[in-house]
Amino acid sequence: MEQFLYYIKVSLVSIKRAPLPYALTIFILSVGLGVFFANATFYYQLNSDPLPAKSNKLFFPMMLITPYDCNDCRPPRVLSYANVQKLANSDIPSAKAAMYSADGYARLSSSQPPTPVVIRITQRDFFAMFDVPLLHGSFWADDGGRFEILLSRAMALKLFGRTDVVGEQMLLDDKHFSVIGVLNHWQMLPRLYDANGRNHLSPTEDIFLPLETGYDLHYLSKTNSQTFDSTDYRKLSTEGRTGALHQLQYWVQLDTETQQQAYRQFMLNLANDEKAAGRHPAPINNQLTAMRDIVSYFGDESGDIQAFALVTLLFLLVCLFNASHLSLNRYLSNQYEFSLRRALGASRAQLQLQMLADVLLMALFTIVGALLTGYVGIKLMNHLLPGNSLFSSWDIPLLLSLLTITLVCSYLVTLYPSLRASFGTLNQQLKE
Amino acid sequence: MIKLTNLTKIFRTELIETHALREVNLQVNEGEFAALTGPSGSGKSTLLNILGTLENFDAGDYQLDGKSVKGLSDAALSRLRNEKIGFIFQSFNLIKDFSIFDNIELPLRYRGLKAAQRKQRIEQALELVGLHARRDYLPGQLSGGQQQRVAIARAIAGTPRILLADEPTGNLDSLMARQVMELLEQINQQGCTILMVTHDPDQARRAGRHIQIIDGQLSDTMLYEPFAAQSA
Amino acid sequence: MSFYLLCKVLFSRKVVTGLLLLQLALTLALLLNSVLLMQQTNRQLKQPTGLDLHNTLLVQLKPTTSSLRVYPALEELFTRQLQAVQSIPGVLAAAYTNQSAILQGGNNGNIYDVEHQDRTNVPAVPMYYVSKDFFTVLNTSVLQGELPQNVVSLDDPGRPAVVLTKSLADKLFPDKSAVGQEVNRGRVAAVIDDFYGQRSAQNVMYNGIQVALPYTVDWGYSILVRTAPEQTEAVRQQLDQVIRKVEPNIEIFYIRNLAEQYQRLYRTEYGLAMLLGILSGLMLLVTMVSSYSSTHFHALKRQQEIGVKRALGASKNSILLELLSENWLCTAIGASIGVVLALLLNQALAQVITIPPLNWYLPLTTIVTLLLCVTVATWYPAAIATRVSPATATKAL
Repeated sequence: MEQFLYYIKVSLVSIKRAPLPYALTIFILSVGLGVFFANATFYYQLNSDPLPAKSNKLFFPMMLITPYDCNDCRPPRVLSYANVQKLANSDIPSAKAAMYSADGYARLSSSQPPTPVVIRITQRDFFAMFDVPLLHGSFWADDGGRFEILLSRAMALKLFGRTDVVGEQMLLDDKHFSVIGVLNHWQMLPRLYDANGRNHLSPTEDIFLPLETGYDLHYLSKTNSQTFDSTDYRKLSTEGRTGALHQLQYWVQLDTETQQQAYRQFMLNLANDEKAAGRHPAPINNQLTAMRDIVSYFGDESGDIQAFALVTLLFLLVCLFNASHLSLNRYLSNQYEFSLRRALGASRAQLQLQMLADVLLMALFTIVGALLTGYVGIKLMNHLLPGNSLFSSWDIPLLLSLLTITLVCSYLVTLYPSLRASFGTLNQQLKE
Repeated sequence: MIKLTNLTKIFRTELIETHALREVNLQVNEGEFAALTGPSGSGKSTLLNILGTLENFDAGDYQLDGKSVKGLSDAALSRLRNEKIGFIFQSFNLIKDFSIFDNIELPLRYRGLKAAQRKQRIEQALELVGLHARRDYLPGQLSGGQQQRVAIARAIAGTPRILLADEPTGNLDSLMARQVMELLEQINQQGCTILMVTHDPDQARRAGRHIQIIDGQLSDTMLYEPFAAQSA
Repeated sequence: MSFYLLCKVLFSRKVVTGLLLLQLALTLALLLNSVLLMQQTNRQLKQPTGLDLHNTLLVQLKPTTSSLRVYPALEELFTRQLQAVQSIPGVLAAAYTNQSAILQGGNNGNIYDVEHQDRTNVPAVPMYYVSKDFFTVLNTSVLQGELPQNVVSLDDPGRPAVVLTKSLADKLFPDKSAVGQEVNRGRVAAVIDDFYGQRSAQNVMYNGIQVALPYTVDWGYSILVRTAPEQTEAVRQQLDQVIRKVEPNIEIFYIRNLAEQYQRLYRTEYGLAMLLGILSGLMLLVTMVSSYSSTHFHALKRQQEIGVKRALGASKNSILLELLSENWLCTAIGASIGVVLALLLNQALAQVITIPPLNWYLPLTTIVTLLLCVTVATWYPAAIATRVSPATATKAL
């Protein structure tokens, strides 16, 4: 320990000897790493797997069973109620849920001002499939329509000022509902169950409403809805259930390879039956996309973040080159001291220990600078690219990897110069 | 103590080979004070560097204390330098922003001595060179002669068997040079072998032995009884 | 001073020079592509919209009670809101519409000449259901035909007439007048000037407008307001209050002028271009730091050499020039490698974002900028190095 402190002291003395080059090295490394950190944060969070145990077991089936003819067409990204019914007509999946989202206004009584809410209109299995934590109450008993809703924890607090509100009554778009459950803290990031059109970047919903009730009450999808026939979308409860009005996401849980194969076969049979019935003229195109691939299937990867990732990586490289260049200069101007130490009997290993102290010190300064720069960078990116702002937080694994990267970079920047200085010819510097 | 047998050192560049040392044979006994003289470029410094294991050689053999240094690893050489050899340079080579104490401590650190042992040795060395009161000064606050005495203190703090001095008085005026020479003689009398490169014929005469080197060859050696042997 | 000697000096320090070259090359590559992206975004933001962006205000709103979202209450609400807005001093015209202009996407559908559906089908053309003053608000001129004057319900028998923008009319009816023709949405009554509709459309200028009551306001609706130029801000201040006074059960999502709306539409591109711009600035700074420190260091190491040269009669300027030329040469070599790297990076970026290909003049201007920065950064340490007195420098030899 005493020896370690001595090494640190020696490092500090050599920093004091030429503070400007050292400060510049730290500055450049900090800026490079900070910019890299800022973008890496988004990249890491955007590409993180919100359900690692399940993301390869949950599938989104899409079929081109639409009333129009189209070659080379992908099936629609949202499903009609009628097609979901057909797809649901199988016992192969362990769980299945159709869903969409809508806007609404909630209040406790008609005399209160309304609170704008986002509603996820879905079926019972949704909660089990996406591991939704329940704080109070229960989920729906079945997929039937009912005036029962679940609230997010934040919405319960906002409306009622407390979380245990099971059994309470409230108004949603002027209709009376009773609260049967309150969710615990839940933020699925990215929100992959609704990936279409970069919706996976949005926060989770405030209120959960049964699918049948949503159709009965004519809730229209707030994101993507398409009509492929003359269905009037205002008549959701009647025509919307039979016509080609597409607005639903549909997820099935297929735990094993066998289940997946069986479901693919089921989809193929269904498409053939539909074709035989003359209900769709287009060639068969079935897709069964796993949740972990859904964003790339829809082509909604964050191009801005990817482009910036490439650029920041190159920038980090530039900064590393620059910092090693600076530190090489610094070590070469200290070479005489290295030679002297060698003459006094320091082995290369001992000099390398000294170098490690340099690295630690540099990493310490750099991590502070880099985290500061990274923080500012994230604020700036949130300001300039607000769509990604949910993905700007640091967690422990991320911070640890950032720390490791800083250490490695400091080591790389110090390694070559110090090797060069300690392997330099011993005699020349001392004579001058 | 030191035994060189047919030692050869060649400097190679792309175009030419220079024989810095040609088949040098030299024996220096324990306790000798030898002066090494010769014109510029004769190979004095090369010889001193090889003796200090700062530089390797191309042919022949170098035995220090009866053991050949040939083929020793870097770590072993470093240890050898640290324990057996002390260096004194013309330009002192003190680390400017280290205190006198810290400068002298350096080789002791590399030997891995405990703090108390280091302190004791540093104090002894400072006592010997008469700079005990200045232990917390920086080198820049001392005169040239004082700085060289610090360098000597650093060299002897590790109680080396051999002291290699490369023109130790070259940067000093005559008064200071004389003080440094007296100090070296005193150290020699305590049993330390000294090999000193010098340009000054007076200093060469004061040493117990005078070795001349011309064109990489030891052309003339004059032998006297070593000081240590005389006083013993 | 010979070019050969310069090269020799440079390449005698292999690693240092190598690092410097790599860094310069990467900097140039990044700089070039950043500038390219910024230029593209700038072009996008400057493209004509056919709209008076600064003097048109957009209010996005929705009734918060479901009873107000159905006819006839909704129609009555529209009328009251428009009357109130029109009475604000400075308002030249106001209209409701199911959706605003300048959107990413919205309510749209395919449109075709009923006689040639297979040949003329255009997908995803915005469908606007508006009040009759919509055209006055947008200040569009009528090129052919006459604008419909009466609001029709979409549920009435007989579909409301359609107004097309010029680009769409030309696309659907390339060799005849569109007026009087039948498209799948109804009979074409008029053709108006182009304006920017939806970004996700095949052509942003394709728009089909009907003077009709919107099907539904479940997704909200817009009130567009045209103001006298100097009174836009004043009107904007009052809008919220005036609209709420008419009917409190309303959520107003935002009030913007169309210029802001347009900025928002290209926010991602703008953000990315800004970020790359900031990064380019940082890169130039880093390059300057490295030029500065490298010159500083090497000039220090070569003090004796410089002193000797001075003693042999070299002027301060020639020493300065020598040091500067070293950096210029380095920058020039680095930049040449950088152009190749820039091409590679351009292709890599084109995989994830839209970015125009490199042109010939941009590399030149960027290299000049880089040279300028390097010169500025080198000047100070080089000038200091020339101040070495021949006497002191040579004494040490």
